[in-house]
Amino acid sequence: MNSALWISKTGLSAQDVALRTISNNLANVSTVGYKRDRANFEDLMYQIQQQPGALSSQNTLLPSGTQLGLGVRIVDTQKEFSVGTLQITEQPLDVAIEGRGFFQILLPDGTTGFTRTGSFQLNENGSLVTAQGYELNPAITVPQGSNTVTIGVDGTVSVSQVGDPAPTQVGSITLVDFVNPAGLEAAGGNLYRETAASGAAVQGIAGTQGLGEVIQGALEGSNVNIVEELVNMVSTQRAYEINSRVVSTADQMLQYITQNI
Amino acid sequence: MDRALYIAANSARHAELAQAVHAHNLANVSTDGFRARFADTLADAVDGSGLPGRVYGVSKSPGFDFTAGTVRETGRVLDVAIDGQGMFTVQLPNGREAHTRNGAFRVDSAGRLMSEAGYQVVGGSGPITLPPYSTIVIAKDGSISVRPQGQGAETIVQVDRLRMVNPEPEDVERTQPGLFTSLGPNLLPFAPDVRVQSGALESSNVNAVSELTEILALARRFEIETRLMSTAEDNDAAATQLLRIG
Repeated sequence: MNSALWISKTGLSAQDVALRTISNNLANVSTVGYKRDRANFEDLMYQIQQQPGALSSQNTLLPSGTQLGLGVRIVDTQKEFSVGTLQITEQPLDVAIEGRGFFQILLPDGTTGFTRTGSFQLNENGSLVTAQGYELNPAITVPQGSNTVTIGVDGTVSVSQVGDPAPTQVGSITLVDFVNPAGLEAAGGNLYRETAASGAAVQGIAGTQGLGEVIQGALEGSNVNIVEELVNMVSTQRAYEINSRVVSTADQMLQYITQNI
Repeated sequence: MDRALYIAANSARHAELAQAVHAHNLANVSTDGFRARFADTLADAVDGSGLPGRVYGVSKSPGFDFTAGTVRETGRVLDVAIDGQGMFTVQLPNGREAHTRNGAFRVDSAGRLMSEAGYQVVGGSGPITLPPYSTIVIAKDGSISVRPQGQGAETIVQVDRLRMVNPEPEDVERTQPGLFTSLGPNLLPFAPDVRVQSGALESSNVNAVSELTEILALARRFEIETRLMSTAEDNDAAATQLLRIG
C-alpha cells in the first residue's frame, strides 16, 4: 500500500494530541496556579533503502543514500513551570509563591501532594485547607477567637487575639523544591505528585536556598499565554489540514490505479 | 512482452517513494529543529539490445535541506535556538556522539542536562551536570552559568559550555529519530563561532506549500504512469487479437 498514507496518518494523530494539549491549556486560562503543557514532536525512524556511505564504485562513496522517514510522533508533553502573573486579592489566606517552590498538601490517602495554588481556607477545626479540603502539611491551625492572621515572607503564620497586643506564632508554611519540576506527575485538582524523574522533594524555608518568598494576599494566575496558544492552535489546525490533504491525495492515487488497470 | 509496462510500473513505484519523503516532511511540519529531506528523480538508463529507450526514473533522497527554520520566542531559559548554522551535541547510550538542532533541554532528577529525547547534552568536558541552582543563564556562545542554590546574586558559577559543531551537510546523516551522526570515523570538531539564543526554539524548516505542490505533482505523475500501463495493456490486447485472427 501507499506508504504516504501511513506517514500522514502519524502526522494527523500527532497534531490531534497537540490540539488536545492546547485546548487543555486554554480551558485552564483562569485556573489559579496552573502550569501550561507543551507537546513536543520528534521525527520517527528512517527506513534505509540505500545505505549512505556505501560504495558507489571502487573509489567513490554514496554521499547520501535513500532513507525514507516514517513520520512523526509526540515525544512528550512538558509542563512549563514559569511563574504566572501574581494577582492581588487581599484575602488573608491567599498565598502566592514568588519564585520556585511548592506547598505540601496531605492527601486523603496519607501521601503528600504538591501544589502552587495558595488559595487556602479554614476547615471546621480551624486548620488551613485547600479548596478540596485537604490539609496543609505540616498542619497549621488558627485558634478560635483570632482576630487577624499574618503570613510572613518566610512562611511564618502568626495570629493576634482580641485584647492581646503580642501576636502568637501558630506555625510555619514550609516549601519544597525539585531538581526537575517538569518531571512531576500532574494529578489533577492543581496537585502534583513526586516521581523518579522529578527527584526527591527538598524541604526549605521560603526565601532561602533558591526558594521563592511567600506573598500573603496574592494568588498566582495561570501561566497560559492566550495569544501564544491561539497562534499554536492556528498552526496546528493548518498542519492537520495539510496532512489530511496528503491522505486524500494518496487515496485518489489508489482509486485511480484500481479503476484504470 | 512489451517493456513499456515495466518502465511505467517502476516509475509509478518511485513516484510513490518520493511521495513518502514529502509526506514525512509534512508530518514533521511542527517538529522543532526538523530538517526537511530532499527527493529527486534520476534517469537510470538500462540499455539492452534494440533502441535506447529503457530509461527508468529512480527516486533518490539526497540529503537534507540545511537552511535554518523560523526561530520563535518561548521565554523558557532551557530552550535554546541556534542562530544560523551549527548543531548541539548529545551523547548516545553507547557513548557515541550525535547532533541535533532541537534545543528544548531539561534537567533530570540527578541534575544532568538532557535533550528532549532523553540524551545527555555534551559540553566542553563531556556530559553536562548542573549543581542545584536557583537561576541559570545560557549565553550567546553557549556558556552555561548558574547561581547555586542558597547563594546570593554575587556568586555566579560557570558550569560548562555547550559543545556545538558545524558540519558540512554531506558529513552527517540521520541515523536515529531526531538525531544526526557523523559519517566519518572521527568526532566532529568543536565550532566556537556558533551562536545560540536562549529562550527561543527553532521551528521545522519544512516549506508546507512547496511540499504539498510536490505531492500533487507526484500524484499526477502517478496517474500518467498508470495511463501508460493501461496503454501497454491495450497494445498487448491488440496484439493478442491479431494472433487470434491469424
